Amino acid sequence: MSIITVQIVAAALIGIGLYGALSQQSFVMLMMGLELILNGVMLAAVGFWAYSGTGIPEGQLLTIVVMAVMAIEMALGFALVVAVYRGKQADMTEALEGFKH
Amino acid sequence: MSFVDLIFLICGAIAIFSGWRVFCTDSMVRASFFLLISFIAVGVIMLLLGAVYLGVALFFMMAVEMMVMALFMVMFMMNPAGLNPMKMVHQDKFAALAGVVAFFALSAVAVFGDFPDQPRPSDLDPVVTLGKELLGDSMLVFESAGVTLLATMIGVVAMSSHRGRYGDANAGSRPPGLEPGGMPAFSGDQEGSSGGHHHHHH
Amino acid sequence: MTASLTNALLVMAILAIGVYLVAIINRAWANALGHSGAGNPFTAPFYSAASLWVAPANTTEAPDAMAWHLAPVLYLTLAAMGLALVPWSQNLVPVDLTTGIVLWGALEPLATVVIFLHGWSANAHLSMLGAYRYVSLGLSYLLVSMFVLIGVALPAESLQFSAVVESQAGLWNVIRQPLGLPLFLLVGLGISFWGPLNFADSNDLAGGTSSESSGRARLVWQAGRAVMLVAFSAIGATAFLGGWLGPVLPGFVWMILKTMVVLAMALLLGQLIPRFSPDRFLTIAWVLLLPLAFVDLVWAGLEALP
Repeated sequence: MSIITVQIVAAALIGIGLYGALSQQSFVMLMMGLELILNGVMLAAVGFWAYSGTGIPEGQLLTIVVMAVMAIEMALGFALVVAVYRGKQADMTEALEGFKH
Repeated sequence: MSFVDLIFLICGAIAIFSGWRVFCTDSMVRASFFLLISFIAVGVIMLLLGAVYLGVALFFMMAVEMMVMALFMVMFMMNPAGLNPMKMVHQDKFAALAGVVAFFALSAVAVFGDFPDQPRPSDLDPVVTLGKELLGDSMLVFESAGVTLLATMIGVVAMSSHRGRYGDANAGSRPPGLEPGGMPAFSGDQEGSSGGHHHHHH
Repeated sequence: MTASLTNALLVMAILAIGVYLVAIINRAWANALGHSGAGNPFTAPFYSAASLWVAPANTTEAPDAMAWHLAPVLYLTLAAMGLALVPWSQNLVPVDLTTGIVLWGALEPLATVVIFLHGWSANAHLSMLGAYRYVSLGLSYLLVSMFVLIGVALPAESLQFSAVVESQAGLWNVIRQPLGLPLFLLVGLGISFWGPLNFADSNDLAGGTSSESSGRARLVWQAGRAVMLVAFSAIGATAFLGGWLGPVLPGFVWMILKTMVVLAMALLLGQLIPRFSPDRFLTIAWVLLLPLAFVDLVWAGLEALP
């Protein structure tokens, strides 16, 4: 376990998450992709904190902020899903195309 | 190879494998629990790295989040049980390419980057320093996150509430037709089924 | 290495004795209250365990096999992890984490996830209903236990359970924060879906999440519930009743006595109070229990001010 291996694992998680966020049609699956990206980001932040930050507390703070971002993303995402489902009886991103009319 | 290295390798493999399974399982409920497994593996890696609070906090944050996610899956999604094959993707090749490029670019940064070798001191108490930072120098950041979460809660309730001051949230909305301009699949007692009145919404 | 082996054996022993103890006390209360069919408290648990042991395992059509088989084991594992966090005496703590309270806080939502998996994976109506109902209600009271535990961490100025016990040397938390123990016990009944808060496996759903399970899987599931209740009682005794602190007797004995008192109280509640109506309990949880948890936290904060 070194900074390089930790960052490679984080990079893999970000890569898979990016694939999911770009390719999924369902809102909730798309959100899972975003969560996986943030998962990698948190791991990278903790890795840097542990290996090259002399243990400064701001490194941990960044991870806490990312967790808050995740919670906000989840809550807003589900509210959007509920709103779109009410309007369109659908949960797919394509359903949003005509939403502005 | 030390014991810590072995655990790290196992957890890293689990995190990546279950992260990948999220997007190829047939069941959306299963997908959300694969994501939970990925988060738990990352939490264990964080514990190995010495972030004793963050690793454990990740467990409970993600357990609740993924539980809510599974709840929504069963509520809204088609095929939550995974009894049929499921593939709902668009721009699949481009997305896969973007993911691979992102992985190699970030890995290249990790391998060729020159990071300072300044490990955290072994006598550092991560919980105490984090707490002092959250309610000390970085209080503004922390409290902003708190206020943002409060604003999110209010916004989300407003957005997902059935009722507004001027009527139902879905007043005036109309389900998509089965064919363009046709009758919606779901009618109930909605305006679309009444036939005589046709409303235009722009 | 030997120390960790001893600790593992200790947890296993408490786990096994705990299951039997829950069965005995529960049947003893039932007999005392005149509920029929409980049988001899000391031998009846063995008969029912043996009948489950030899009963054939049930299968459903197209279950999620992995989750279906793993859920009872995972639930028992989570309960055992909870037991491992309990400080039995000053120097007998199987796992003394500096973030023990946070880990306990993580075990509760993970148990909720496992209960959902148990009901969902069977691919059957009633177990799905039980799981879904359990989660939608469980999300409403998980926060209560978090706030109550933050309340005991405040005077201890630590997230470590042994520090929480030491902070009660002057006065037990049950007196300093009187709202804490009842709220925590209520959450315990909920997480182990026991008695009045049995929303997962209750009779109105013909057994809910375990309506399709039988044989050894069901035995493990029932044992897991019992161990979870023991773990809740032990953590409750640690956090609110001063843990190993007490005069004359050694700490280990005090801790066991306190755990048994809390456990007996929880089981008595389970025998006395009928199951809440789910829709009414949802309102109670959000409108009454959560604000009470806030009050408890503010109370603890004011009390902890120097």
